[in-house]
Amino acid sequence: MKGSLSPRTPGVLALAGAGLISALATGRPELALIAVPFLVFGGAGLVLAREPQVTAAVEPSRLRLLESEELTATVRVRNDGPEAVEVEVAPIRTGQLAVTPDGTVAVRVGARSEAEIAFLVRPRRWGAHGIGPVAVCTRDALGVMTWEGRLGGRVDLRAFPHEEQLRELVAPLRTEPFLGTHVARARADGIEFADIRPFQVGDRVRQVNWRATARRGSLQVNQRHPEHSSDVVLLVDTFEEARDQARGTLDSAVRTAASLARAHLGRRDRVGVVDFGGTLHWLEPAFGTTQLYRIVDALLASNVAFSYAWRNVDSLPQKVLPPGALILVITPLLDERSIALVSELRMRGCDLTVVEVSPLDHVSPGPTAPDAVAYELWRLQREALRARLQSLGIGVAVWESGGNLGPAVEEVNAFRRSAQPALRA
Amino acid sequence: MIADAGAASQLAWLGAGTAALLVATGMVAQSPAPVHAAVAVLGTMFLLRHDNRLLLAPPYGAGLLLVDDLAIRTMELSGIGEIAPDVIVARFGATMAVAAIGACLSALGALAVTAAVPRSVVLTAVGALAAVAAFVAIVLLVRRRFGPSAAEPGLAPSPPAPQASPSADATV
Repeated sequence: MKGSLSPRTPGVLALAGAGLISALATGRPELALIAVPFLVFGGAGLVLAREPQVTAAVEPSRLRLLESEELTATVRVRNDGPEAVEVEVAPIRTGQLAVTPDGTVAVRVGARSEAEIAFLVRPRRWGAHGIGPVAVCTRDALGVMTWEGRLGGRVDLRAFPHEEQLRELVAPLRTEPFLGTHVARARADGIEFADIRPFQVGDRVRQVNWRATARRGSLQVNQRHPEHSSDVVLLVDTFEEARDQARGTLDSAVRTAASLARAHLGRRDRVGVVDFGGTLHWLEPAFGTTQLYRIVDALLASNVAFSYAWRNVDSLPQKVLPPGALILVITPLLDERSIALVSELRMRGCDLTVVEVSPLDHVSPGPTAPDAVAYELWRLQREALRARLQSLGIGVAVWESGGNLGPAVEEVNAFRRSAQPALRA
Repeated sequence: MIADAGAASQLAWLGAGTAALLVATGMVAQSPAPVHAAVAVLGTMFLLRHDNRLLLAPPYGAGLLLVDDLAIRTMELSGIGEIAPDVIVARFGATMAVAAIGACLSALGALAVTAAVPRSVVLTAVGALAAVAAFVAIVLLVRRRFGPSAAEPGLAPSPPAPQASPSADATV
């Protein structure tokens, strides 16, 4: 730690010196007598001050938490010196971590002993946050000297986004021949009844529909739809976001993506993610809980990075978008590049749904009448854009922050059912 | 005499008011300089007294030290979110102890001043040596604290840990 005179010490010594010089100059010994306590204070402080042997470290109670949860970060301060020291402690943290008590905490640590200070830490939003090292300031008993430094290391915390429980999911048009929960259009072994056909050599007896056989006079067997899984790609648009002081569309987009990833993985789908913006990250589709954690970890790094680069489908490797995958584009529909990407994907015949994270919650009309008109025009433009996308056969689920995603997904499913023949074309 | 006493009293009130204003300024500006200036004003006002100055100087000096110390420590602690009670007790105790010791030494000085010591070459030499010794002591103290040899290794600040990067298959 770096030692220095505390801001008060030069003043105290100057007062003592001024008293002594004034006494000499004026021949008034009482001025020197007044200065003596100041001289004792400064001299004793300088003589007795010793560099403290202090160490400190931050120990959070856990490293992973939800964005609204709190954890306790204990700062352990150890004094290995022979004298008690006064220590002011403040953990350094990234901006999105709220710490209580906010500011410095002063404690006295006895000789060769340890003190623990508990800080309540709450992430303001999802993401990877850091806490530590600890800014420590110690003073000698008289406060003549101070030692300041940063002790301990940084601890990384991962705040996971809040996830919404989804009953309904967007039903994929095509499925993969892996066991899942989506009823496939193909006919094979399954649970859902599909049709009846005449018996053929090789059919099992348990497939025979005896009532139909009795009615038609020949052996009839049931055909069923198998339960398959599907490939789902979550494409998170990070070109641009609308943000007010507290929240932004990217926050909601990541929460939506995490909710959808959990729900689809829970239904045995292969899920991948693409962070499509100024920087491009992707994660190939895969099954299972490990993939969920990989996706959430990848989403935590999502950030709006300003870029002039024009990106399109060709920017993505083919393996990221498997043929027949359901692509869920989570976007605020604010950037031309993401809108162009959506159109291009649809033109290429991809099964596509747009989850629009509405920016309207983060933008308010200005105070003047022209501002209000401009706001209305912008809102109408957005509606027109939505209609244009729907005319291309793209279901658009509008999700407003604070609302539920479920009804929006149900609306998209209804749209896709009505537009299914066109979608399959 | 009465007129002089009245003028001195007015000056004393003026000085006390100025000192209070300076202390308040220091508190607001979070700077110790106005507080020291207030203490200097109060110390100068001691010259307005005409009686028992040598007797009153030691407790007056200790009182000024307390005023200075308490005002500055209040400033220091005002920026702290949470303070353990033993911190305040220990600080106050240390300040009181130093003020008491300072007052005692000052009283000894007052006794020395009042003693009728005849002028001599030896005493003058002792006084000069004491002044030089005090100067050398201060220089040595400052050198010990801030000279080249004071660059102790200490605890170096730890380098910042790398940012946590999520696992992703690829980045462009």
